[in-house]
Amino acid sequence: MRRLAPLIILYLMLAPESALAGPQEEGMSAAEVDQLSAEVAAQLRCPVCRNQSVLESSSGLAREMQSVIRERLAGGETPKEVRAYFVGRYGDWILLKPEPKGINLLVYLLPAAALLFGGVLLYYRIRRWTGATAPGPTASLAGLEVPDAEPTSADAAGGLSEEEEEWIRQQIGSHG
Amino acid sequence: MKRFGRWLIPILPIPALALLAFGLTRNVQVLPSAIVGEAAPEFHLETMTGDSLTLAGLDAQVVVLNFWASWCIPCRQEHPALVRATEVYDDSDVRILGVLYQDTPAGAERFMQRFGGEWETVLDPGTRTAIDFGVYGVPETFFIDADRRIAYKHIGPLSWEILQTKVDSLLAVGGA
Repeated sequence: MRRLAPLIILYLMLAPESALAGPQEEGMSAAEVDQLSAEVAAQLRCPVCRNQSVLESSSGLAREMQSVIRERLAGGETPKEVRAYFVGRYGDWILLKPEPKGINLLVYLLPAAALLFGGVLLYYRIRRWTGATAPGPTASLAGLEVPDAEPTSADAAGGLSEEEEEWIRQQIGSHG
Repeated sequence: MKRFGRWLIPILPIPALALLAFGLTRNVQVLPSAIVGEAAPEFHLETMTGDSLTLAGLDAQVVVLNFWASWCIPCRQEHPALVRATEVYDDSDVRILGVLYQDTPAGAERFMQRFGGEWETVLDPGTRTAIDFGVYGVPETFFIDADRRIAYKHIGPLSWEILQTKVDSLLAVGGA
């Protein structure tokens, strides 16, 4: 699962890309160009309004940018090439969703890493709260040792008292 | 685990706070430009008098390309600096060229009549040249060197001092 997580994230990030690539080179209908240019315009930041996309903005510049997008797509460029044109002019800033490369990768990977870390932390907390001591295949996850498996650390972590442990040993002894 | 957690919880918010502090100390008005240092995009535009003009056709050592509009209030502020530049510098050294941004020729003429002076302005139908230069709004000025690379970009109204400093530094490099 640890190996799969980054792959799943990468797939999710790249999926719209692959969905968009393809038909534009063979000549599209006007409706297809409109549809595709709306998709590209929705991904670009309006330089005037800044928090709106080129598609949503009603500023003069955004409208002209929409025309440029439409012209370039109709001229045979791929959505990726059209985006690259604007990035070449305005920098990565123009993309509402940053490209998953370099330091931008942090934006995509940190939440997943935090979730994973939180999950692992919660797992061990819950194990300790419920007083589970059974070692087994779940004894290690994500390369971390389970402290509860060691009697000394279980004591330190507020696990079973000595009386309780003695009582458990007696129970086990009487059955075995 | 518990010892680790005791350290971790106070440490965890530090990167987030550092990022927040970094973000808050940045000037949001200063926008990145991907185009400074790059070759200036070629353009083929018409002047207000109907002449055709291209960047490649300009033989001046330094080209100062100023995007402006008659409706732009800061453009009035920088107007005297640009007028002065046309008077101080020889055309073969420095070419001051205005690009009209989302405006009508009639508006530009009224502006020139009202504020006096005149420098050559080209029309930019469809804002294509402005988008090619990654313009966010007006006024924006591009200082293009002898190799037709964008050496500097100035956002906001120009002062004579800024204009002179930048032009002279480019003349010094080119004229050596």
